Amino acid sequence: MSTLKSFLRHPTGMIGLFVLLAVVILAVSAPWLFPDDPWDMVGAPFQPPLSEGLWLGSDMLGRDVAAGIAHGARISLIIGVISTLTSLIIGVTIGATAGYFGGKVDEVMMRITELFQTIPGFILAILLVATLGPKISNVIFAIGIVSWPPLARLTRAEFMRLRGREFVQAAVCQGQRPLTVVLRRILPNAISPIIVTGSLAVASAILIESALSFMGLGDPNLMSWGFMIGAARTVIRQAWWMSVFPGLAILLTVLAINLVGEGLNDTLNPRISRKR
Amino acid sequence: MNRREFAKLMGVSAVALSGIPLGITRAAGQTKGGTLNTIIQPEPPILVTALNQQQPTLTLGGKIYESLLRYSPDLKPMPGIAQSWEVSPDGLTYTFKLFPGITFHDGKPLTSEDVAFSMTKMLPETHARARAIYSRIDKAETPDPLTVIFKMKAPFAPFLTALDCTTGPIVPKHIYDGSDFRKNPANAQAIGSGPFKLKEWVKGSHVHLVRHEGYYRKDEPYLDEVIYRIIPDAASRSLALEQGKIQLTQWNDIEFYDVVRLSKLPNYEMTTKGYEYFAPHQWLELNNRVKPMDDKRFRQAIAHALDLKSMAQRVYFGMPKIATGPVSSKTRFYEKDVKRYDYSLEKAKALLDEMGLKPGADGKRVTLKYLIPPYGEVYQRAGEFIRQTLGRVGIDIQLENTDVGGWADKFSNWDYEMTGNLVYQYGDPALGVSRTYISSNIKKGILFSNTAGYSNPEVDKLFDEAASATDDTRRQELYSKVQKILVEDVPVIWMFEAAYPTFIDKRLKNVTSTGVGVHESFSSVSFG
Amino acid sequence: MTSASINSGGRVFAVALALAGWFVKFVAVVLVIATFNFILVHAAPGDPAQVIAGQSGASDEKLLAQLRAEYGLDKPYPIQLANYLKRVVTLDLGYSYRQQRTVASLILERLPATLLLTATAFTLALLSGIILGTLAGVRAGKWSDTLLTIVSLLLYATPVFWLGLMLVLLFSVQLDWLPAFGYVTIGVPMTTLQRMGDIGMHLILPAVSLAAVYLAIYTRLMRSSVLDVTHQDFIKTAKAKGLKQGRIIIRHILRNAMLPIVTVAGMQAGALVGGAVVIETVFAWPGLGRLIYDALLQRDYPVLLGVFLVMSVIVIALNLLTDTIYRVIDPRVSVRAAS
Repeated sequence: MSTLKSFLRHPTGMIGLFVLLAVVILAVSAPWLFPDDPWDMVGAPFQPPLSEGLWLGSDMLGRDVAAGIAHGARISLIIGVISTLTSLIIGVTIGATAGYFGGKVDEVMMRITELFQTIPGFILAILLVATLGPKISNVIFAIGIVSWPPLARLTRAEFMRLRGREFVQAAVCQGQRPLTVVLRRILPNAISPIIVTGSLAVASAILIESALSFMGLGDPNLMSWGFMIGAARTVIRQAWWMSVFPGLAILLTVLAINLVGEGLNDTLNPRISRKR
Repeated sequence: MNRREFAKLMGVSAVALSGIPLGITRAAGQTKGGTLNTIIQPEPPILVTALNQQQPTLTLGGKIYESLLRYSPDLKPMPGIAQSWEVSPDGLTYTFKLFPGITFHDGKPLTSEDVAFSMTKMLPETHARARAIYSRIDKAETPDPLTVIFKMKAPFAPFLTALDCTTGPIVPKHIYDGSDFRKNPANAQAIGSGPFKLKEWVKGSHVHLVRHEGYYRKDEPYLDEVIYRIIPDAASRSLALEQGKIQLTQWNDIEFYDVVRLSKLPNYEMTTKGYEYFAPHQWLELNNRVKPMDDKRFRQAIAHALDLKSMAQRVYFGMPKIATGPVSSKTRFYEKDVKRYDYSLEKAKALLDEMGLKPGADGKRVTLKYLIPPYGEVYQRAGEFIRQTLGRVGIDIQLENTDVGGWADKFSNWDYEMTGNLVYQYGDPALGVSRTYISSNIKKGILFSNTAGYSNPEVDKLFDEAASATDDTRRQELYSKVQKILVEDVPVIWMFEAAYPTFIDKRLKNVTSTGVGVHESFSSVSFG
Repeated sequence: MTSASINSGGRVFAVALALAGWFVKFVAVVLVIATFNFILVHAAPGDPAQVIAGQSGASDEKLLAQLRAEYGLDKPYPIQLANYLKRVVTLDLGYSYRQQRTVASLILERLPATLLLTATAFTLALLSGIILGTLAGVRAGKWSDTLLTIVSLLLYATPVFWLGLMLVLLFSVQLDWLPAFGYVTIGVPMTTLQRMGDIGMHLILPAVSLAAVYLAIYTRLMRSSVLDVTHQDFIKTAKAKGLKQGRIIIRHILRNAMLPIVTVAGMQAGALVGGAVVIETVFAWPGLGRLIYDALLQRDYPVLLGVFLVMSVIVIALNLLTDTIYRVIDPRVSVRAAS
């Protein structure tokens, strides 16, 4: 409860939360706000913002940019969350194994993690999507694969810290199985920094997805913000609004998630939070 | 403040940013000299047109390699390196007289031997389209260095329409004879007999051509240099045009959405002429083997459901003409009096209902996959348009993205449901049209064959007869008949006679004076 | 032996050790990425020979058979892998059938542009980040600090390709100050100096776009790092001794506060190089990123894999660079190594 209270008193965190809520509401209510398919050609091509019925203008086929942004919010958020969950599963598993067992296992796990941090992640993501095919599942998988190392490192550090604690040692002495100890004893105590880093990972997942779409590696059946900017790039001289608004949408969402993440960080882990 | 002033402010010399000196000198008649800056994209893998027939290779290679004939915009043959020609009454013997004094870029003379070698030895091995035509040559005779005689196996009326620089480029025999054509080290040099020769090719940047001093036509070429700049990015290409850095664009250098805006530039003329020989025909390809596309009514329903007028406006910005059937109106033997499929959702729905394809609870009657051709954004937009319009009659389309290799592989091996296709007609239905519809050309693994798998014995017979008939009236009769049958059957949904915007600096003369347009040698192109 | 010579001997030893460590890491990364590449090509749908050929209408049986023999695709996987690794170690990155050239020559041709872009962006981000971060840290709480914090927050959330587009919109389309694309003005005779200036003008927008995100990260890090250090005892001592503020900042705060930034910069090198791919696409910058983009459209796998490998090597090199910087500025490292 006190955590909630202190978060509520965190000004930038609250700003972020409000913006993020607005984006989520937009995403959820998109089918009501813009009941038409965002791909439908509802107006004349290249209508500037504030044209009749088209708040944010239309694209080269006469599709509503505002509808695209609302529906795109769903795609971007869904991809951000699911791919973060994917990277959480990978990262936490590896980090927990390394931190719990230590020694040789830790050595091997950390070498792997280090390697993944050395490889240019975005290029790996490009390669993965290109070989597996531009489908939403592959995009999510690729983002998951390239964004787990920080989570693994963090989990490992937390596990190493908690591993020597009395309540963990006690559980081990009682003969509880390692999996039980990890899931019941250590993980619950390590969860808050993982949540914070995970929330920040959602932001970076959204950025990676948009960059992939921009490079033409998005799912062609899904209207995402990155796709909109990618399609707008070549017509930037005729229609600035086609690239400006989806870009702002990404910027605001990512910013909001970062602010919330930092707010959480300051309230959940005052121990490691930035000193003011 | 503009860029030049800003550059000065930044302490950078502005010389680099000022205009490019053209170096023109006025002479009698046409102006001599000058550098033509234009665009090539994507970068060709090689410049030898006999070895590679991708469009950029052909555009650039057309300046380096010449052929026997050129063609007027209405596809009448004109002298190329052959100054005259004769056809025997039985249509079996073709005799060509070459211009005297033609030399290759390495200084060696071009003789009838080179022509015979190119057309009967090298091209049939390296150039699939040329093989289909020139393999009809029984033998080539070279009585003297300036005369070449082709004896055909059987009459083939379109032969005289198939001697342009993209189909029959003449290569030097002394370089290629007896070598592994594809691995010949001289390929990098690209030695032809055209008005321009390769000076330098900086990969990823530009290809620099300079005039061939030993060119056989008096005063030609007028230009000193042609520089093809490799600009992969569409926005950058438009900008280069706007800033006057280039004097010519071709094919899809300028994307359709930029055409209207750039047409207003005072220094350029925009034309869609110069593509008559190719007459690219664009259609929605339906795999006739896949249900329900095997049913004529389903294909007719799609023809009714596609709002081509609106598609031409929105996707292609009003550039293309709507196609009425398998033959382009720019190609010979076009028949305009065929069945028309007007845009009508009602008619489309009625046909689908008649087939028993009722909409499900979600309004979908059938779901089909559309493989987007990987040739740029416009194809992407076209796919999106097709999906949205067909969705209105309950035909649900799932778009699939792929790469060039993947598209060709899936398409040519019939592993697709729908895709977009664009096929050149090459001036004569026997050269560019029949291949899409005759059953003998259902060939797995071959692109631009009868990939849809349409088969109609009557159509086969008519096309066959028309190709060997020597009388044009008879040919017209046969082609009119086959066009009517095909339009009734709609094996594919013809959409547009593709149009490409060519922007030409107003000082330039003779750029699109022939039906081969920008592929032409440019020997007569000049500044003023 | 004097303590000084022990110290310098220790330094040499430490550097040698670092180099050896770096080399081991280098070899390990190259081998693992090569293995990765191998798996990827085989994971791609279709016949690997088709995939390698990767060119339109690749139904040429002759080429496919030739490829199968050349790549030993008829042999068992472990042997194929061993052969592939052998080729990589001998710097044979394969042949691009699409471009009709060896991958190594394609990469060498594009490498300078990418090195120029990434190195410029990296330096720009690091230097400005340190300067701006110090400024913010020293003036913590003042309006300039708040402004810098907001700007870096915004930059941190901006998609790099979008920032590039917006800068083009502003500086090329609207103001016409800077070229929107390309590397150098083509077809104009220029002296070496003019050419350098011209490349420099073309470099500004891509480098700034690429640096922006990292600039934001380093600024924020530097700021908190400076705040950390400022509260430590030796700074208080220095202040008490009456040293001038500028001197304190440079001699004491900067040197100590920079360490975490350098560490993070090394870790971010991979992301920076990845970002170069997008930026080169936006600005038609003729480097490896563009090469990868073109290869992507053609699914030219030999090129894709080759570039991936080379870019990873660049990242390792940047890591080495930051390690070295760390050693130079951290007074404790050499001491520790010597003792």
